[in-house]
Amino acid sequence: MRYRVLAVVAAAIALSVVAARSATAGSTTSHTLTVWLQVDAQNGWPQVVAAANQAFEANHNGWNVNVQYQSWGDHLQKFDATIAANDTPDVIEMGNTEMTKYMAAGAFADITADKGQFDNAKYWLGGLKKSSMFNGKLYGVPYYAGSRLVTFRTDLFKKAGIKKAPASLAKFENDLAKVKAHDHTKGFTPFYMAGTDWYSALSFVYDYGGSIATFSHGKWHGTLASKKSVAGLNAYKKFFRATSPKSASKLNEANPAPYTVFSQNRTSAIFGPGWFSCCTGKKFTKVTGQFVMPSHKAGKSMPGFLGGSDLAVPEQSNSQAQARAWMADFTSTANEKALQAVGNIPNATNLLNGTVNDRAAKASWFVPTAKHWVDVENGNILRTMLGQILTGQLSVKKAAQTADANIAYTLNQS
Amino acid sequence: MGATAEAAVGRPRRRPLVWRRIANGSVPYLLVAPVVLVLFAVLAYPIYYLVRISLEDFTLFTLAKGVGPYIGLKNFSSVLHDQVFWHTLLRTVVFTAVNVTLTIVGGTLIALLLKRLWTPVRILLTVGLILVWAMPPVVAVQVWIWMTNVQNGVLNYVLTTLHFGNYDGHNWFGSPISSLGMATTLIVWGALPFVVITVYAALSQVPHELVEAAQIDGAPSWRVFKDVTMPVIAPILYLLTCLSILWDFGVFTQVYLLIGQPAIVPANYVMGIYLWEQAEVLDLYGRGAAISILMLVIVAAMSIFYVRRMVRTAEIT
Repeated sequence: MRYRVLAVVAAAIALSVVAARSATAGSTTSHTLTVWLQVDAQNGWPQVVAAANQAFEANHNGWNVNVQYQSWGDHLQKFDATIAANDTPDVIEMGNTEMTKYMAAGAFADITADKGQFDNAKYWLGGLKKSSMFNGKLYGVPYYAGSRLVTFRTDLFKKAGIKKAPASLAKFENDLAKVKAHDHTKGFTPFYMAGTDWYSALSFVYDYGGSIATFSHGKWHGTLASKKSVAGLNAYKKFFRATSPKSASKLNEANPAPYTVFSQNRTSAIFGPGWFSCCTGKKFTKVTGQFVMPSHKAGKSMPGFLGGSDLAVPEQSNSQAQARAWMADFTSTANEKALQAVGNIPNATNLLNGTVNDRAAKASWFVPTAKHWVDVENGNILRTMLGQILTGQLSVKKAAQTADANIAYTLNQS
Repeated sequence: MGATAEAAVGRPRRRPLVWRRIANGSVPYLLVAPVVLVLFAVLAYPIYYLVRISLEDFTLFTLAKGVGPYIGLKNFSSVLHDQVFWHTLLRTVVFTAVNVTLTIVGGTLIALLLKRLWTPVRILLTVGLILVWAMPPVVAVQVWIWMTNVQNGVLNYVLTTLHFGNYDGHNWFGSPISSLGMATTLIVWGALPFVVITVYAALSQVPHELVEAAQIDGAPSWRVFKDVTMPVIAPILYLLTCLSILWDFGVFTQVYLLIGQPAIVPANYVMGIYLWEQAEVLDLYGRGAAISILMLVIVAAMSIFYVRRMVRTAEIT
């Protein structure tokens, strides 16, 4: 009896193995290309992703694309885990300030020789192209950018008698004083800027010709205490104190988000990414306008931080050729124009068409391309300096010198 | 009957006795074996890997290449020579002491209060405590963030309305002490239900007749608590203190989410945050592993007193 049961079990196993083998032999071999994009694409431009997948799958028989959406907060930790497990995606979207460390670590494939494969490569935006290169080699493809603008309440500006966008920083400060004079609501501030929002604050530094750090004689040097940078930081301190609430001196832009303050009718203007206009509240959608932050030099724009994303192929991917082909499809001229249509800045200057976003992108700055730059960001060195300056804890010069020392120490780590 | 015959008769009697003794003796080991096996299966490899990479220069650069060069105890030595480590350790010890004290003392007081309350009120309070316990830390953090919001948080509004000062626009996360103070309120609030319910259960073990006898003898309430109640609930309090030390010393979620990454600076690090910053943000995995091992040793040293007291009390009782 026992032998009979064993024989039945063995026959069942043998049959299922044969069935499984014949099923495999009968189907076409299928390959999957794994792509990690940020949720922005899922929410904002899923049609662009679908178009790229369709184009890729049409040209690559037997391949399908598996797009996995990630969030900015933890995608690097997850990516590190896949590197350790040798199970990376084939394409990954990276923030432009995140690129350098991974390029230096050898985590991405060198695609210098394949640059011609991508549309508009000759005209890529400087800020994005710079973030995709390390030691003269190309490791990433610019995807899209986002500039920084002033988002303001057109009704309140009109009420204060302001008819056009300010031509200079001094004029803007003056306009904000007029808005304040017309609105005495408790807790209302004409302008809201989180004091430690370094993306906004450093724009003042670049406006005065300053910078964060430079590389010379084989080492990085902090340059925030230079004459020009200090002039920019002083201008920032003066502008902040004249227009923003003192209580925001040590706040960051994550809590509360400037657009939340805007939507609560507590301010007439905020400075930040162009997409802030999305979230100014239903009540104020029709009275929300945007203009480029003016420079201290009349008639010019203040250089804004050019945030954005790049696409890269992890070195451990076994499908690098296919990954490059998908990136080419995803960043085609047609897809970049579709990205532009939903409020992004396309990846190349020849595609810019004069919108307020595009105008802002023309004057921009980018962080130092040092492999440890992301450590400066995560160590909150710049935020600490700004908090010290705005609260008067340290003089501008002293706070900048301290930050310079910390930046140099961090960037020059082996 | 000769010796041989006696032995022959005795043997069959002895064998079952010996086997029974072995069988009886091995029951506790057999009962505890599944737990030991599961713990071994779950923890052995991670701990081996942790120790291994703590002896390697294991960073993002080596992670991408898959090789970590052996550097001996250099990670430990660099951590022990880092001033930030010592400042963070001191801050965390103080933070832990404050949190544990508030949790245990507060929890015990509420448990004593529960004993004296009218039943419906006791049920209401118990339900409230269970709701607090059931709230996930991430949700609780969000509630705290809303309440302490600098622009329109209810805390600033209430304090200003009740004339405790002008808290309009007050930033509760403007200084390290204030930020960690807010984290303490959240951690203690979340930890109280467990302590209250456990101590309340322990209080039900205190013999009524002893309490009554002490009261008849004229002992004041605090004396009854000190000499009658405390000896009975002491083992539970040692256990709760031990667990609280373990939880509060390694706390991460509440502090990290409440203060928020953009505001986290070395001046408000606690050990969990320091470990995270080194291992995950800076990608210094080897150094992070060394910090983990040091934390393990420190927390073991911190709780040894309570564990010994707990074991001794258990032996006596």
